[in-house]
Amino acid sequence: MSNTRTRGQHRPIPFLTVLVTTIALVAASCSGGGRSSSSSPGSGSTSTKGGIVDASNCPGSETEGVSGTTIKLGTSLPQSGLYSAFTEILKGESAYFSYLNQELGGVEVDGKKYTIDLVAKDDAYQADRTVANVTALVNDDKVFALFNVVGTKNNLAIRDFVNRQCVPNLFAATGSPAWGDVKYPWVLGSELVPYPLEAKALFDYLEKNSPSAKVAILRASDDFGRAYSETFRSLIKGSKITIAKEETYNPEQSDTKSQVTSLAATNADVLLLGATLLACPDALQNVKASGWKPMTYMSGTCTSKTLMALAGDAADGVMSVTDIMEPGLAAWADEPAMKLYLDKIAKYAPDADAENGIVAYGWTTGALLAETLHRSPSLTRQAVMETARTLKASDVGLLMPGVTLSVSAKDWFLGEMFSLAQYRTALGHFELVGSVLDFSGHTAKITPPDLIGG
Amino acid sequence: MDLNLFFSQLLNGLSSGAIYASLALAIVLIFRTTGILNFAQGEMALFSTYVTWWLADQGLSIGLAIAISVAVSFVGGAVIERVVIRPFEKASPLVIVIATLGLFLALNSLTQVVFGTDAKQLGSAFPDTVWDVWGLRIEAQTIGILVVLGLECVALWVLFQRTRIGLALRAVADNPEASRLLGVRVGTMLMFGWGLSAALGSLAGAMVVPTTQALTASSLQSVLVFAFAAAALGGFDSPLGAVVAGLIVGIARALTIQYIEPLNNIELVVPFAIILVVLLVKPAGLFGSTQVERV
Repeated sequence: MSNTRTRGQHRPIPFLTVLVTTIALVAASCSGGGRSSSSSPGSGSTSTKGGIVDASNCPGSETEGVSGTTIKLGTSLPQSGLYSAFTEILKGESAYFSYLNQELGGVEVDGKKYTIDLVAKDDAYQADRTVANVTALVNDDKVFALFNVVGTKNNLAIRDFVNRQCVPNLFAATGSPAWGDVKYPWVLGSELVPYPLEAKALFDYLEKNSPSAKVAILRASDDFGRAYSETFRSLIKGSKITIAKEETYNPEQSDTKSQVTSLAATNADVLLLGATLLACPDALQNVKASGWKPMTYMSGTCTSKTLMALAGDAADGVMSVTDIMEPGLAAWADEPAMKLYLDKIAKYAPDADAENGIVAYGWTTGALLAETLHRSPSLTRQAVMETARTLKASDVGLLMPGVTLSVSAKDWFLGEMFSLAQYRTALGHFELVGSVLDFSGHTAKITPPDLIGG
Repeated sequence: MDLNLFFSQLLNGLSSGAIYASLALAIVLIFRTTGILNFAQGEMALFSTYVTWWLADQGLSIGLAIAISVAVSFVGGAVIERVVIRPFEKASPLVIVIATLGLFLALNSLTQVVFGTDAKQLGSAFPDTVWDVWGLRIEAQTIGILVVLGLECVALWVLFQRTRIGLALRAVADNPEASRLLGVRVGTMLMFGWGLSAALGSLAGAMVVPTTQALTASSLQSVLVFAFAAAALGGFDSPLGAVVAGLIVGIARALTIQYIEPLNNIELVVPFAIILVVLLVKPAGLFGSTQVERV
C-alpha cells in the first residue's frame, strides 16, 4: 500500500459528512411545498362589523400607494423556473394596463382619472420568495394593493401579513377554497373557477353520463391538489362513483411517470388531474404511453393551448372548465371584446402569443381590477376592498357571454359560472361542452369545511 | 401480484435510474482520477444541456445538438479543471470541495444569465414509439436511455482497459507522483478526466429533460442528489457500482410509488434508507474498494 493511498484513507469521512449534509439541505429545499400553517391568530385587527371589511384597526395610511394621478400596485408570480410559463399572465395584465393608461387615460375613480403602475416581482412559485416579495412591495415600494399574486401556497403564505397590514390582495390567481375563510377579508380570489367547483362539475357530468364510474386521481401534493381530491371524495359519498386510486406528485418536479403507471393499472374509467402547468401535458403523455384510455378531466389552470400543444395527440379529448373566451376559437372571432384583445395584445405585448389562454386570463383579470377601482366610491384601501367584496360584473375582459362574476357578504367566490370544455388536438383549441353552468353561491356549500377554514 | 404492473414500474425505475447512473458515472470518474467529489457535476451538466437546447433551437437536429454539446462539454470540463481546480492542487480536499460548491453556484447563475430564466422545451432524441410485448408497454425512450448508458459503460471500459491513455489515467489515479516520474503528463490526464466527466454529464442532461417536460435552472439538482446517492451506494471509486446503484435507486423509487402507499410523495425515503443500511454494513459501498492501512 503506497503512501498516497494511506493518506487517502481518511478522505471518505469528511466527504461523506459534507455529502449527507448537502443531500439533507437539497432535500429540505425541495420539499418546501407542504401545507402552510394558518393556525396563527391572523386577523386580530380586523373584524366584520358594519361592512364586510372593517379597517378601524389598520396600521398605516388608507391611501398608501396613491400619489398624484398614479395608483401603484404590486404582484408576485413565477417568472423563472419550472412555473415560468405563468409569466404570460403578467404580459396579459400589463398589456391591459398599457391600453388603459395610454388610450383611455387611466381609470376613473370618484371623478378623477388615475393611471396604473404595476410592480412585478419574481418568486419562481416558491412561497418563501412570495413572502419576501410582498413584504418589500408593501413596506418599500408602498403599493396600494396586491394584484393577481399567483399560487395557492404562495397566497396562503402572505395572507396573515396582508390581513394585518390591511392591504387588499385582489384577485389572487388561484381557485383555492381557502379564500372563503371569513377571518381573511383582505384576500379575494380571481375569476378562476374555484377548484371545488371543478370537482363538482366533473361529479355532475359523471352522474349524468357515467353514474358508476371508477375514478383515478393524480394530484399535486399540496393545498392546490388537495382541493380537488378532497372535494371530489366528499361529493361522491352516497353515489355509485368510486375512487380506484389516488397518487400524488411532487410539484417541484412535474415528473408523473410512475404515478401514472400505478393509476393506469387500475384501468379506471376516469382520471381526475389535480395538476397544473407542465405536469398536465406530462401526465397526459404518460397516460397515452401506458395504453390506458380514461376520460380525463384536467384542472382549469391548464386550459392553455400552449400546454396542450406540448402533449400533442395525448391531449385530445381532455375535459376542463373555463369562464373566459378562448382566443383563436372561431366561435368568438366576432366578439368585440375579442377583437379589442387581439388588437391590443399585438400592440402592447407583441412578444406574447395572443392565443395562449394564460395571456387571456391576465388581460381579463386586469380589466376586472380596473372595473373594481372604477366602481369604488373612493380611492381608499377599505373602499376598494369593500367594492371588490360586493362585486357583480359581466362583460369584463374576455369573460364568456352569459357569465357573471359575483360575490357578496355571504358568498366569497367569484368564478362560479363557467362552461365545460374539451380539447381537440385537430382543432388546436378547447370546444365548449353544453351551456354555461351556474353554481353561484355553491362553492362554500360543497367544499369540506377544513379546506376553507385552516 | 400484477406482474405486468411490476415490470412496468421496473422499466420506469430503470429509465430514471439509468439517468442517475450516467451522472453518478461522471462523479465516480472524477473521484477516481482526482480524489475529489465534484458537487458542481449537476450544474456542469445543466450548462451543457442548455448548450444542447440552444443548438437545437438554432435548428439543428437533436442528435447533432447532443453530439456537439458533448464535445463542447469535454473541452469545458478540461478548462474548468485547469482554471478552477488545478490552482488548489496542493490544498486540502475540503478546500477543493468548497471550490466545487462555488463552481456549483457560479455555473447555475451563469446559466441563468446566458440563457434566461424561463423554462425551455427540449425534444427527445428518441421517437415516442411504444411497443406492446405480451401486454407490457415498452417505450422507445426507455430503451434508448438504457442503450446510451450501456454504450457509455462499454466506451469507458474500452478506454480504461484497452488504451494507453486509459492506462495513464489509471496510473495517475493510483499514484500521481510515480506517474509523473514515469513521464505521464499528470496535468493533461486530469484535464482529460474532467472533460470526460463533463461529456457524460451532458448526455445525462439531454436524457433527463424530455422526461420532465422542461429545462430550468433547477432541472439537474434532484438528479444530482440521486446520482450522489447512487455513487455512495455503489462506492465512490467504482464505475460498475455507480451504474448498478443508479439503477437500484431508480427502481426503489418507482416501486415505492407503486407499492408503499404511506410513503406517497416522500418516496425518496426508501432509496436513502437502503443507502444508510448499506453504508453501515459496508462503508465503502457495494462495489467500492476497501482501503487497508499497513500499521
